[in-house]
Amino acid sequence: MEITRLQIIFIIGLMAFAVRALPQLFFVGEKFPDAWDRWLRYISYGFICSIISVTLFMSGAHIETSAAPRRAIALAFAVLVAYRTKSAVTGMIAGAVLVLVLSRLF
Amino acid sequence: MKAAIPIWIAFVPSSIAWGIAAQDHGLSFGEVVLMSAWVYSGPAQFAVLGPLAEGKSALQVIVAGFLMNLRFLPMSTALAPFLRGVRRWRLLFASHVISASSFIVPYMQFQKERKELAENSTSARAEDGYGNLAFFLGVGVTSFVVWLAGTAGGFLAAFGFSAGFEEALKFILPGYFAGLLVVEMKGWAMPLICLGSLIAALPGALVSPGWGWLVTAVLVATVGWGLEEWKLPASK
Repeated sequence: MEITRLQIIFIIGLMAFAVRALPQLFFVGEKFPDAWDRWLRYISYGFICSIISVTLFMSGAHIETSAAPRRAIALAFAVLVAYRTKSAVTGMIAGAVLVLVLSRLF
Repeated sequence: MKAAIPIWIAFVPSSIAWGIAAQDHGLSFGEVVLMSAWVYSGPAQFAVLGPLAEGKSALQVIVAGFLMNLRFLPMSTALAPFLRGVRRWRLLFASHVISASSFIVPYMQFQKERKELAENSTSARAEDGYGNLAFFLGVGVTSFVVWLAGTAGGFLAAFGFSAGFEEALKFILPGYFAGLLVVEMKGWAMPLICLGSLIAALPGALVSPGWGWLVTAVLVATVGWGLEEWKLPASK
């Protein structure tokens, strides 16, 4: 049976709701161990970075060899700008402008 | 509600970026708004956007979304003691608007109030579950509305981009999340995990385009966490 995009979104939302709601019903007065808390946060960071990598550098099962260098440069620039300005938006705009310029030049 | 203003300010660019990226990936307006309203989790929405748009296996998309949303478990658990005495159906409704940002602000406020109560032991005032719920909803619901409005605005704004901007559009969401991570970066474990995941995802995705990046992310995060756990007692 084929699952539609709407059904997938519904299932993801349902699971997100369960994860948010269950502690309210069953964990009142409990404390989540700090180590577990850190592990879950690190999993999120790992996923986000993996997704950044796959989104920018992969197309299907192949590395986008022609676009990858300019996107890597733009990503490094965005990270640097965000770090210096302490603003994710400024970093994103700087990176997006740079990748656009590089794509027009090369 | 004043306490929520910094969250609104943070949500505006991220929700607009999400709306633009989702439109660029070919999702419909209904799908994008439904996702923002029902999933309501920027990182999870970002994580599943590509696989969802490319028609990857439903199981892969669902697992990715679930693992991203697991971080709500400790957040919701931490809030629960402050909402004691509130009826369950209200808690169920309120729990939907828990997000990383809308958790931090009320949690800090509740802790501050608890500390004040403990210091002022002559006060007959007790912790007020319904009062805390009202504060939490003031922050959570308004942030939720800003997220939804920004999503819709971003989606519609994306139609204004002329052809030739694809490269910049493709960069918006990953660039924004990279910036967010860098701004939040602290300690040595987080940069190590971020860099390791960024690099390991590529060979992982080459071996298995569907699951490789998921597996490498879990592995790298677990190794980084393990190293930190191992080093923590040593540093004490």
